[in-house]
Amino acid sequence: MSVAFPLRMAWRQTRGAWRHFLGFGACVALGVAALVAVGTLAVNLDGALTREAKTLLGGDVELRAARPLGDEAVAALERLRLAGARTTALQELIGMARSASGRTLPVEVKAVEPAYPLYGVVVTRPAAPLARLLTPREGGAGAVVDAALLERLGLGPGDRLALGETTLTITGVLVREPDRLASLVGLGPRVLVSAETLARTGLVRPGSRVRYRALVRLPGTVAAGAASADLARAVADPGVRVTSFDEAQPGLRRFFRRLATYLGLVGLASLLIGGIGIAAAVTTFVRRQRATIAVLKVLGADGRTLLATYLLQTQALGVLASLVGAALGAAAQPLLVRALAPLAPVALEARLDPWTLVRGVALGGLTALLCALWPLLEVRAVPPSLVLRRDVEAGAWRARRPWLAALPVGAGLAALAVWQAGSLGLGAIFVGAALAALCLLALVARGLVVLGRRGLGARGFALRQGLAGLARPGGHAARVVTALGLAVTLLVAVALLESALARQIALERRDTAPSFFFVDVQPDQVDALRRLLAAASGGTAPAPTPVVRARLAALDGVPLTHELIARRRAAAPDAARYLTREYVLTWAGEAPPADALTEGRWWTEAEAAARPRVSLEEEAARRLGVGVGGTLTFDVQGIAVTAEVTNLRRVDWQSLSVNFFAILSPGALDGAPATWIATARVSAVAEAGLQDRVVASFPNVTAIPVREVLERATALLGQLAWAVRWMAAFSVATGLVVVAGTLAATRWERLYESVILRTLGATRGAVARAFAVEYACLGAAAGLGGTLLAVVLAWIVVRFVLDVPWTLAPAPLVLGVGATAGLSLAVGSLATFRLLGQKPLAVLRRD
Amino acid sequence: MGVVMIRVRDLTLRLPSGGRTLTVLDGVSFDVEDAEVCAVTGPSGSGKSTLLGLVAGLDRPTAGTIEVAGAEVTRLGEDALARFRRDTLGFVFQAFHLIPTLTAAENVAVPLELATVPDAPARAATLLDEVGLAARGHHYPAQLSGGEQQRVAIARALALRPRILLADEPTGNLDSATGGGIIELLLGLNRERGSTLLLVTHDEALAGKADRVLRLRDGRLLDPER
Repeated sequence: MSVAFPLRMAWRQTRGAWRHFLGFGACVALGVAALVAVGTLAVNLDGALTREAKTLLGGDVELRAARPLGDEAVAALERLRLAGARTTALQELIGMARSASGRTLPVEVKAVEPAYPLYGVVVTRPAAPLARLLTPREGGAGAVVDAALLERLGLGPGDRLALGETTLTITGVLVREPDRLASLVGLGPRVLVSAETLARTGLVRPGSRVRYRALVRLPGTVAAGAASADLARAVADPGVRVTSFDEAQPGLRRFFRRLATYLGLVGLASLLIGGIGIAAAVTTFVRRQRATIAVLKVLGADGRTLLATYLLQTQALGVLASLVGAALGAAAQPLLVRALAPLAPVALEARLDPWTLVRGVALGGLTALLCALWPLLEVRAVPPSLVLRRDVEAGAWRARRPWLAALPVGAGLAALAVWQAGSLGLGAIFVGAALAALCLLALVARGLVVLGRRGLGARGFALRQGLAGLARPGGHAARVVTALGLAVTLLVAVALLESALARQIALERRDTAPSFFFVDVQPDQVDALRRLLAAASGGTAPAPTPVVRARLAALDGVPLTHELIARRRAAAPDAARYLTREYVLTWAGEAPPADALTEGRWWTEAEAAARPRVSLEEEAARRLGVGVGGTLTFDVQGIAVTAEVTNLRRVDWQSLSVNFFAILSPGALDGAPATWIATARVSAVAEAGLQDRVVASFPNVTAIPVREVLERATALLGQLAWAVRWMAAFSVATGLVVVAGTLAATRWERLYESVILRTLGATRGAVARAFAVEYACLGAAAGLGGTLLAVVLAWIVVRFVLDVPWTLAPAPLVLGVGATAGLSLAVGSLATFRLLGQKPLAVLRRD
Repeated sequence: MGVVMIRVRDLTLRLPSGGRTLTVLDGVSFDVEDAEVCAVTGPSGSGKSTLLGLVAGLDRPTAGTIEVAGAEVTRLGEDALARFRRDTLGFVFQAFHLIPTLTAAENVAVPLELATVPDAPARAATLLDEVGLAARGHHYPAQLSGGEQQRVAIARALALRPRILLADEPTGNLDSATGGGIIELLLGLNRERGSTLLLVTHDEALAGKADRVLRLRDGRLLDPER
């Protein structure tokens, strides 16, 4: 077989028939555009996080702890300073800011030393050295605050702001803080003060929730990894977390990688829908080429030469369309960046990544190859004797293709899915879901065809003809229903997930959730605060809960060391968090009524008096690897408390009440510095007033407004849903291309049919109505199948991935079916409207 | 007595048709000698086109043997048949069967290119000149008249100087004046090249120009030889 002939023929065929390939090209291009858009975004995010890693961490190495750094840490930092490093210490906490008029707002306070920042620059308005802005002055120490704080409290530069027991003067507006990640759900705007000022606020007390950080900028001669390892060795206390810049923000990176992966899968779904369009376009093309193929066979072209010709042709077009798609995806980048900017922790650039482009083009080309291969195998089976039989009908002869040939095609597509998903598991889930969806939609299409055949007895010309049209040979029903149905699945599933989550988050739906948590309540404030809260919420207020901050020191008697933690982290990063996190402990004589004991039993008074016991949340127990009968040792402000695990509890974290991982027996925490948490539930209008009153009386108490936090979470959810919907739009566009292509493929049949019907006396209106019935049925079936799949998909995600209660929102369902039917009707009518204008005789003579 | 170019023995073709078996050809035997012009005639449905298709290996018979230019056609596989047709046979059809996406010159060049003959475009131009269409090489089939299309088809059939030409109702889609011209061209070029011509037609006048006429009715030869 020579290569020259297939090449030449492929070019000549394309030259003559490029219009047939517009739909084919659009299918490939849209899928590739989706993948390139998401891929480029992911690379940009990752690149920005890597590039900005030192700035985001604030140094080369960071020490972080929930209590002031101990002597060994201070000594280790001093040694680094002697070796030429620069260091600085930070303290971060949540406090309540109060304006002169009495309005209050939770703020994220950060106290810095003059050496801050070690990397990057703090941009303020007015532009001035930070140290000067923060120095104490007449009328209170200086503070630099977010513009949001000024807006919320109605303040301006120069105004006074009370924080804890001291008063600050706002000396500047914070424009950019290099080491602050635009956190996804922050508790409040930033207030930057000096370390001396923080000390005067009285907010740092035993048991307060303060994060102590020490940042190190190393001289060029010392590697961050080595310095970090040295520090970890020097600081035995596992409560001090040592991080070098290249291992910082693992959670954030994981979040964005996962987001990119899921968005990528949505993109892959558009390419899959495009695959249906590709296969349909090639099937139609080969059907039209049968005569040419037969002639070429008579002229001596063998099957392999012809298969090579058509493969070359589709492949070249597939790659060309992929290139167009890659360009589209690259062009869409600024749009996507803008859509995701509120979510992104760093400034994003719309920079192109060559490897992503190459991968997109490769995925597009390979999908085109695999999806075209199956219909192209028909080329080999076209009998040359077609040239002699003038009576061969389109449907009378069917290509026999080896079903085994479908195996490598399917395997290839599955491999592409795994490649895009980036993991075998996720790829397999995607392939499984896609297969199940295709099967179900094919079944729906099959049912529709059967309905069409049965419908011949239906009353009315338009209804009967329209239903009969569904059973038209050539399988157009299956194509439209699967392609459109898959797109509908994605869109409706996103809508269902969003509404299920939004309902879950919405405070109004929670009967028991408090409107406020008041934390850091000191022992001498408990009674007064409770009285205030009771008065505000109509007579009663839940009893405040005592809490003690602690960290885990030993598991079953085995001390937690940096080595042990590193080992556990390597094995299971998520589980290791349970070793290092700060635990908020409480004590109770009786089991919390909302929790369910899953193992063991609650302690008796005598047991509690005998020695410390602990009740552990079951998930924490599983992650820590301890069970009933084991022991946990807590380090409570330097004092070790060892308690036996007496029972495991299941906690409904969604309830938003005061919940605990670990509850100790009464007496176990005696003498430890406790603070109290109080809650209150008031109406939405009373919230601001209550917050202001509490903070005015108890300046050190932090009020966490639950509604506001939930609203911010809802906004974040909306942003995420928007991004996913943006990607799903690609698949809808592809689905519509498939619909238009399929209708174009049956155009001649429709034209002929409409002309025959009109010759037999049907009005144009009647013919149009018959077509409308057909399109509406196709759309409704796709909408119904797709919506059904979406419900299943959303249910699985809600039930098993998100683990929130399942609620079914009716609006997306109705919209899914209705809009799809309408859209199909509109596209179909547009595509066939012109047919009705053709003069019957001209059409009949043409045959 | 010349060399036998086509040898057909006991050729039978039965096709399933609506649950019954339809006998299209029934024990047909004949020989065609080298450089002979042989016409096959008969009413429509008598199996003449099918006979031509079987000789070209476009279909497989139920029974019987066909030997063409020394090759036993019934024993060749699909791809071997394609190469055999390319090297030995030339075709002219009633419906012309030009490839609509190719120009006249490109249509003529297809067999040359399939056989990887060097300089295919120049030779295609020469062939078009021979059929009197030198000026229309760059036209697409849709831009040519029926007679012109059939001339292009004849040029294409002769491109590789096949030893055997098969023609299926070559004038069936043409008016009689144009058809007459086509027949003159076909017979003239065939004579010039000394090739064998097997011609299917229901036109008695055209059949009269052949050296020999085989008459088919209901799948049987009316005057079986030997």
